[in-house]
Amino acid sequence: MNKKLVLSIILLSAINVFAQQENDTIVKTKFKFNGGLESNAQWYLNDKEREIQHPEDPFRSNNYLNLRLNYGKFTVGTQIESYYKQALLNYNPAFKDTDFSLYYANYKSKTLDITAGHFYEQFGSGLLLRAWEDRALGINTALRGGKVNFKPVESVSITALYGRQKSGFHVTDGDVFGLNTDLDIANLIKVDNFGLTSGFSYVMRSQDIPETVTDPKFNKKTGAYSGRLGFSKGGFYISSEYNFKEKEPIYQPATGLDYNFIKDGNALLVNFGYSERGLGIDATLRRMENMSFLSERVPFVYPAQGTQLPTNSLDFNDRVLNFTPALTKQHHSNLANIYVYQAQSRVSLDPTTNIAKAGEIGGQFDVFYNFKKGSTLGGEYGTKVALNVSSWFNLDADYQFFDANNAYKPDYDTNFFGTSQKYFSDYNLEISKKISKNFRGSFMYINQYYNNQFIQGQSQENVIKTNIVFAEGIYTFSGSRSITVGAEHMWADNDRKNWASLLVEYNHNMNWSIFAMDMYNYGFDKNSQLIDDEYDTFKIHFYNAGITYRKNSSRFSLGYGRQRGGLVCAGGVCRFVPASTGISFTISTSF
Amino acid sequence: MKKIALLLLFVCGAATAQKELPNVNLKSLENKSVNIKSDFSEKDKVYVYVFWATWCAPCIQELDAMNDLYTDWKEELDMEIIAVSIDDARTGKRVKPLVNGRSWDYTVVLDTNQDLKRSLSIANPPYTVVVKNGKIVFEQAGHAPGSETQFFEKLKSL
Repeated sequence: MNKKLVLSIILLSAINVFAQQENDTIVKTKFKFNGGLESNAQWYLNDKEREIQHPEDPFRSNNYLNLRLNYGKFTVGTQIESYYKQALLNYNPAFKDTDFSLYYANYKSKTLDITAGHFYEQFGSGLLLRAWEDRALGINTALRGGKVNFKPVESVSITALYGRQKSGFHVTDGDVFGLNTDLDIANLIKVDNFGLTSGFSYVMRSQDIPETVTDPKFNKKTGAYSGRLGFSKGGFYISSEYNFKEKEPIYQPATGLDYNFIKDGNALLVNFGYSERGLGIDATLRRMENMSFLSERVPFVYPAQGTQLPTNSLDFNDRVLNFTPALTKQHHSNLANIYVYQAQSRVSLDPTTNIAKAGEIGGQFDVFYNFKKGSTLGGEYGTKVALNVSSWFNLDADYQFFDANNAYKPDYDTNFFGTSQKYFSDYNLEISKKISKNFRGSFMYINQYYNNQFIQGQSQENVIKTNIVFAEGIYTFSGSRSITVGAEHMWADNDRKNWASLLVEYNHNMNWSIFAMDMYNYGFDKNSQLIDDEYDTFKIHFYNAGITYRKNSSRFSLGYGRQRGGLVCAGGVCRFVPASTGISFTISTSF
Repeated sequence: MKKIALLLLFVCGAATAQKELPNVNLKSLENKSVNIKSDFSEKDKVYVYVFWATWCAPCIQELDAMNDLYTDWKEELDMEIIAVSIDDARTGKRVKPLVNGRSWDYTVVLDTNQDLKRSLSIANPPYTVVVKNGKIVFEQAGHAPGSETQFFEKLKSL
């Protein structure tokens, strides 16, 4: 491995130097070289008050180096990742040591785009296939194989692909085939007073059935289909997408893969809205039933380590082919990110907790409005208002745990339009306004409902209802300096109860910023029923402070503070992080 | 040894200045194909690409602040701001209503599969890339509220 790495670095550097030299002579170079480096490091410390001992390797870092070389229509590239001495706490155990994470060669012309090696891709809204990367979440589900995209005319796009999914520095056993078409019909038939688009996708995962399974009632190949249609006229638009996944055995963490519990899955997504200058209205409705689609039928299980329970690849969003994010607003407020909804795409019929669910149904609604400058509510600079509402429910179904002989025989039969237990809701309103030449502020009210019993699957009823108010002001003085103050409070009726938070940030100029913040959880009482009672069972300050330096394409930041144990979410997908205290250091740059 | 080699390579790479935008086609809000390079290629005009997302509060803060100054800026300098949304399937539907609802005057393009973001090795939004005569002449990672005036002075000096 090391030799391979050093060799390719020398090779790439040589090409790089060659490219530069050429540039100095009359021959105009066609070689273009660029890349990026990102490094996220943590020095974990002991915290007496929290009774936290730093892990065995207190210094840990995740490092990513991208290199890309382009010559006309050809590009080759790689990504090298290094986890030193280990990956940050609770990252996917598949990420360890240093190795090539991605490598690819690409040819791109006006009509053809061909990739061999690793590639990212998304069909439609990703409910069947999305190969993507999110470093903050430790997700990299790139496919390794080949992809061809063909655009004979501007309104037609056809993609065919084959690959195996990346997991850590390896690939999984399932073979993945995909076909996708997108058509701009309105453009094809040359009309321009309305828009009409359509699309079709097919994704198939093929994996051998173990010989121990006698007379399997499902196929080695699991296919999935998706059809899409979109229409727009003036400011109005509507689009819809239906997905169907062929039957396959269902995996549940408690019982494993059940070769007698075989179901197909489906998802429906509808989006419509209207917008014109100063106004935007948008509604999204989604129903998902058994939409877990993995590159191998059984997730990979990591054994228990010390006090840590066994985990599996699903806990790290790994070996997942599709993308089923929570359709809720991602809040800027710190406290509104404590009880975050996770989309329920999987089937769970657990007789020990009596929780039965087969998916989710619900929607999200947004209104954006701008009160114009000079109007009564707009004032001198205008006033911007954003309303967001989302509600998500369990599917209405006849759920069965046991057969007539009282043996575990899970089954369900859903009603398409029905709803059952409420999982989550979030109603929020944000008003932002420039008040004077140097001062702008925003105010937000958020009301959340979080049903932990059904979202995480617990035996006892455990619902948390919260009300949050959040105010933020930014004052600019003497040219480029500014100070931001954000204050918020959350009233919660359960779990750790009330929180208060204050953030102060000072920006000296385009380059330097410092911040200090504290999140204080003060409502905690010894007898409360906690979602997770292992950590910080007392009134606690989560303080953090840091400094950031930005210069051109580089950003450096250094911070110190306490990390709350729980879910950290980005883009509707969450990662569990343990409680910790320490120093963090991040670098990102591109060249 | 390994780390030293990486560092060397990094320095080597950084020395190769004069980056260009890659040849990438993205969709506009009206579902039209936009070439990020050839559709923004007027001579001596300053093109400012701001990478943002509907879930990125500092990005919205920055674009709101610049929108208030945009008319004045365009009078003083031959420039255009292109707001590149990196929203994925989860939040992509909120881009159009948000842009209209906040009355932004920018050209908005959708980098749904994050091809452009990835090919420029951008870690996180907000991220600003300034292009003049086909060359990337300035980049800024992150945004400091209140630094808009300083940023405009920088644009004028390019």
